[in-house]
Amino acid sequence: MDDLLQHFIVEAHELIQQATDDLLALERAPRAAGPMDSALRAVHTLKGSVGLFDFAPMGIALHAAEDLLSALKEKRAGIDAQAIDILLACIGQAERWVATIEQTGQLPPDAAEDGYRLARSLRSQLEEDPAQAADAIPQTELGWIEELRARSGNAALKTQDAPLVAIRYTPRADCFFAGDDPIALLRSVPGLVAVRLSSRNPWPPPAEIDPFSCNLRIEALSSAEPDRVKAIFRFVPDQVSIHEVPSAAGLQAPGAVPDAARGAGARTLRVDSARIDQLADLVGEMVVAKNALAHLSRQFEDGLDRKHLAQGLHASHAAIERLVAELHGAVMDVRMMPMRDVFRRFPRSVREIAGQLGKAIDFSMEGEDVEADKAVVEGLFEPLLHILRNAVGHGAEPELVRRETGKPEKTRIVLRAYRDGERVSVEVEDDGGGIDPAAIRQAACERGVASADDLERMSDDEAVDLIFAPGFSTASEVTDLSGRGVGMDAVRSAAERLGGQASVRSRLGLGTTIRLSLPLTIVMTKVMAVRLGQDLYGIPLEGILETALVPAARILPVRDAEAFVWRDRTLPLVRLADLLAIPRPPEAPQSLKVVVMAAGDDLVGIAVDRFAEKMDVVMRPMTGILARMQGVVGTTLLGDGSVLMILDIPELIG
Amino acid sequence: MSVRLDGNVIILEGACRVEDAEPLLGWLQADRDRMVDLSNAEHLHAAVLQVLMALRPAVSGPAKDPFFRDWISPALGEAPVGDPGSRAR
Repeated sequence: MDDLLQHFIVEAHELIQQATDDLLALERAPRAAGPMDSALRAVHTLKGSVGLFDFAPMGIALHAAEDLLSALKEKRAGIDAQAIDILLACIGQAERWVATIEQTGQLPPDAAEDGYRLARSLRSQLEEDPAQAADAIPQTELGWIEELRARSGNAALKTQDAPLVAIRYTPRADCFFAGDDPIALLRSVPGLVAVRLSSRNPWPPPAEIDPFSCNLRIEALSSAEPDRVKAIFRFVPDQVSIHEVPSAAGLQAPGAVPDAARGAGARTLRVDSARIDQLADLVGEMVVAKNALAHLSRQFEDGLDRKHLAQGLHASHAAIERLVAELHGAVMDVRMMPMRDVFRRFPRSVREIAGQLGKAIDFSMEGEDVEADKAVVEGLFEPLLHILRNAVGHGAEPELVRRETGKPEKTRIVLRAYRDGERVSVEVEDDGGGIDPAAIRQAACERGVASADDLERMSDDEAVDLIFAPGFSTASEVTDLSGRGVGMDAVRSAAERLGGQASVRSRLGLGTTIRLSLPLTIVMTKVMAVRLGQDLYGIPLEGILETALVPAARILPVRDAEAFVWRDRTLPLVRLADLLAIPRPPEAPQSLKVVVMAAGDDLVGIAVDRFAEKMDVVMRPMTGILARMQGVVGTTLLGDGSVLMILDIPELIG
Repeated sequence: MSVRLDGNVIILEGACRVEDAEPLLGWLQADRDRMVDLSNAEHLHAAVLQVLMALRPAVSGPAKDPFFRDWISPALGEAPVGDPGSRAR
């Protein structure tokens, strides 16, 4: 995929998001000028970028969206729900197209049809209220005016300071029957300097053309006095917009503003994830280098009396250590991102879900600025979407019920993030019907999640917590989320994969709050996995110097212990099976697989059955009762859902 | 009548009026390979022009009328770059 297209895709995602945010803001405050300008800018810019590629249907749809927005803006009458719907539909389609382009490099085959359909519905919104003539030039008009000016081919025109009159004339479809000839009208405009003829709607297939339905759009620049131009169009005021364009210089300046404003407005720094990974790798390498150097310096110190060299090595060790710390800190900083990046996708999702389910929802968000590690923030999208879906689907009661209980008709759903010490909490709170512990008990019993006796003994809170139990959600709750059946158990395990917990608090009749408590940062630990029989264990990579294959014959018994020679040094050999009090395999292997690692100030060889892969894992420290467990620094969830114990070898050796 | 068919060439002459749009469209729909001769056209009614813009037949000219030559002919030739509106076919 070429760079230009790649850049387009990244930019398109941002612009689509921006337009969506703005449209949703307009839905709440139809007359707000800020979101209107911003939405127009986003759509206009996106349309411009699309024009660089062969994505005509997308361009047509966006062009229509831009026209509709700019007409609504000119009218200053606010924007109605119908217009928002169709505009969001257009932006949603654009988003799907961009996703397809990202995968295949081109638009899907049915794009043309969808594009025309969208453009038609957008234009039909326009039809009812033709643009009024206005003297002020709306921002979006500048685009075509400037294009026309640039295309006019008249060098003098591009630089001249004389004012121009810009005409955009969109004849009514039935204008021919009124005896109008728009081309004759254009012919009578004095001082024409540029003309562009195009179609208002995309041309239909040849067989369906109605020659008597006018589908033209005429854009022109004239150097004549504005009043003379206006006089020509005096009989079609509802079909034309006439603007005075001050001068080339005057035109350039405002045109440049939106870009600058956009740059300042974008708060997020785009960091290539590959770069992040690279930095993280570098940290890993530095750790290894640090260990090797420390070892080397000790060797010199022990064997050779070259104190100066040893000191130098120590100094360099210290320097590397500091560098490692700094690098690590920098990586973590880059990885911090605000919740906004994932939160901003929810208003539209909630709106769609509420629409599908016919629920009235008052959705709001708090704490979008709260930051957490990129992996945490990005990992939240799916579980949060699922929780929100549940809040809309199960939490929100019908309006009638709400009215009877004296609640506002719209169910309030708040998505909230806040710092909680060294953790970040993200919760979804609704003021809906709450969860009935009795219903949960019954469902849990029916679905075999817990026995009747256990259910009997549970407190109500414990019973409600069963919504997170695997198998509690039924197939009937299979949603279109990711196209698979995801129950709340998936929410809990997603939170746990991120090193967090999921909890629920609900009061019957008053509402439910689902909270995810997550670590601010996820520290990726490099571990080397080793096997003992069928079991997999992890050893932190930073302590490991080398892996070696030691022939059984080279193992020296030393009283009741064992040793082997490694690089002219005699190292104690410890079998991991013994450390973990697991029986050794019945037959002794020909050679031992040994991990050479540091244990305190000494080196030790740890014999294992097999070496497995190295991996980056999110290590969760041992908590609660497990915290007292000797020799385990933490655990991590593997991709297949199993738990990997990460061993603290020095502690095990004791 | 300012529009007529001569062999496989549709000739537009003088000031073409709104009622010329229908025969022009009919001839072009019947055979998309027909050429349109605009060299003697002085004015095209918008209805005629939009038939030409929609079907894009091969046109011969150039028109003698300056307004026509400067402002209308370009819309019947190559689709201008950077104009999604008219590239949309």
